[in-house]
Amino acid sequence: MKTLVLGIGNPILSDDGVGMRVAMELKSRLGKGYFEVKWASIEGLSTLDEIAGYERLILIDSIKTGKGKPGDVCKLSLRDLNFASHLSSSHGVDFATAVELGKRVGYKIPEIIEIYAIEVEDNTTFGECCTKKVETRLPEIVDEIMEVIKCA
Amino acid sequence: MRRITIDPITRLEGHGKIEIFLNDAGNVDRAFFQVPELRGFEKFCEGRAVEEMPRITSRICGVCPTAHHMAATKALDDLFQVEPTPPARKIRELMYSAFVIEDHMLHFFFLGAPDFIVGLDAPASQRNILGVISQVGLEIGKKIIEGRKRCREILKLIGGKPVCPVCGLPGGVSKALKEEDRAGIKESANYLIEVAQLALKLFDDRVIKNKKYLDLISGDVYKHRTYYMGLVDAQNRVNFYDGNVRVIDPDGEEFVKFNGHDYLSHIEEHVEPWSYTKFSSLKAIGWKGFIDGKESGVFRVAPLARLNVADGMATSLAQGAYEKMYDVLGSKPVHNTLAFHWARLIEMLYGAERMLELAEDPELTDPDVRNIPTEAPDEGIGVVEAPRGTLIHHYKTDERGILTDVNLIVATQNNAAAICMSVERAAKLLINHGEVSDRLLNMVEMAFRAYDPCLACATHSLPGKMPLEIKIRNKDGEVIKTLRR
Repeated sequence: MKTLVLGIGNPILSDDGVGMRVAMELKSRLGKGYFEVKWASIEGLSTLDEIAGYERLILIDSIKTGKGKPGDVCKLSLRDLNFASHLSSSHGVDFATAVELGKRVGYKIPEIIEIYAIEVEDNTTFGECCTKKVETRLPEIVDEIMEVIKCA
Repeated sequence: MRRITIDPITRLEGHGKIEIFLNDAGNVDRAFFQVPELRGFEKFCEGRAVEEMPRITSRICGVCPTAHHMAATKALDDLFQVEPTPPARKIRELMYSAFVIEDHMLHFFFLGAPDFIVGLDAPASQRNILGVISQVGLEIGKKIIEGRKRCREILKLIGGKPVCPVCGLPGGVSKALKEEDRAGIKESANYLIEVAQLALKLFDDRVIKNKKYLDLISGDVYKHRTYYMGLVDAQNRVNFYDGNVRVIDPDGEEFVKFNGHDYLSHIEEHVEPWSYTKFSSLKAIGWKGFIDGKESGVFRVAPLARLNVADGMATSLAQGAYEKMYDVLGSKPVHNTLAFHWARLIEMLYGAERMLELAEDPELTDPDVRNIPTEAPDEGIGVVEAPRGTLIHHYKTDERGILTDVNLIVATQNNAAAICMSVERAAKLLINHGEVSDRLLNMVEMAFRAYDPCLACATHSLPGKMPLEIKIRNKDGEVIKTLRR
């Protein structure tokens, strides 16, 4: 199955970049072959350009719910992103809407989409490193995601 | 591993906020619009080589990376006292046109059209791009996506990447265009002219010819008599990339025209205790509060402001559309906030026509794309028109080009006072006797959506867009209704 692991984030906004950091680490561990691993500072429609043509997508991104501990990993499906239908408030396009739009206009969207959201502490302060709480948990975050994506 | 679901009632931290305070009678006393703050940018930049700024600043906004890249590149030209070569200038403007076209197109179809084409009375779940496509047909949806793809291809060709470009250098760009690139750019420009005309026709058919919407656009709920600001060329026509900053007063008279280098003499910033946002106002008048009129220093930027400050458009089709808008709305300047949507489409058409002009320019593929700087750096200011309005970058360095001071005035900051005023005015006129329906709240949101303010959009965290929370409080300050979108 043609699989893409995609880490999303902003590398100069502290924990916001954690998805990219995890993807970079996964790339060095997974090596070439079964998985293709990429990372990017993109959102919404731009994500479509990256994921089109793959059969399985593993998306790694940050989230800030304020619940749970920084570094906790949550698994979501596309269906869990119910935000999609309430688009009309800001100028971003959320991932779920982008995927639905992509399907309608003929993009080949992966049949399997798994989303791993990493709880973060600070995604609004400029900085090239994650916060200490997230940084120290990075190895176990990578282990955890590695485990589930290899088992699936 | 925990499983979670994100829905409209999931509270995510870091979100835009509208707070509406009702009085004894259940009418609106005050309304506030707040956006979250991204912190520490100046400190992050200080001590870095100034040449990094076009690549750093392109990451501070998720939707305007090219605008920041270009303002930063122009600030470097100024700082190193070097002009870009004519071919480099044309390449920059071509890339910038592609960026503005894409941004305007997506704003209209994703944010403006849901209210007008799907309709104010439609359920919130349908007021989105998918609802728009259901209304206008899949073929138009495909054209929008194809138009976006073509803009992205030009951005990638020139900028090196489709987002966060890396081509801008002091005195030029990093790469020349090849002759074999020209045909594709021309074809895309013609395609985008068609899409812009299609969008304007849709706006005409579905909005202007619909009395209910025309009344809404030209009515009092979404109206403020303010000053306007925008870049103009030597003939006072709209220009996104370069020119002088022109300001007109609420009667349409030129108030001042200045070189962007002198912005500190004309723009001042005001701080309020309840908001992280700094509010720009005209220095010559001063901050008089959140009020409109000639006595207030509040001004507006972005598409409608640019058209208001200009004497016309620099391309023929856009000029025709410009004349039609002022003819239909009956005066100039137009003070009606919802007309920002119309102006945006006129600018999209101008951008596409300008793209075609540049694609046909023989000099576009000239390999002379760089003047090498020879002067010691000191201080530089770069100004462009971002899709959301006038954007200013100001850097100071030591003699080695290491940053010592950074000041950015972003478009949303220039519109911030007007956005707050627009939200409050709409809330006051629409919400009466404590009756707060989702439909009315959506109409309050329309007041700020027209400006498309930047909501800390550098973050890429899930769900992929900044949540917005609306709270209605009674006379005792208790929350009586909360909506999250």
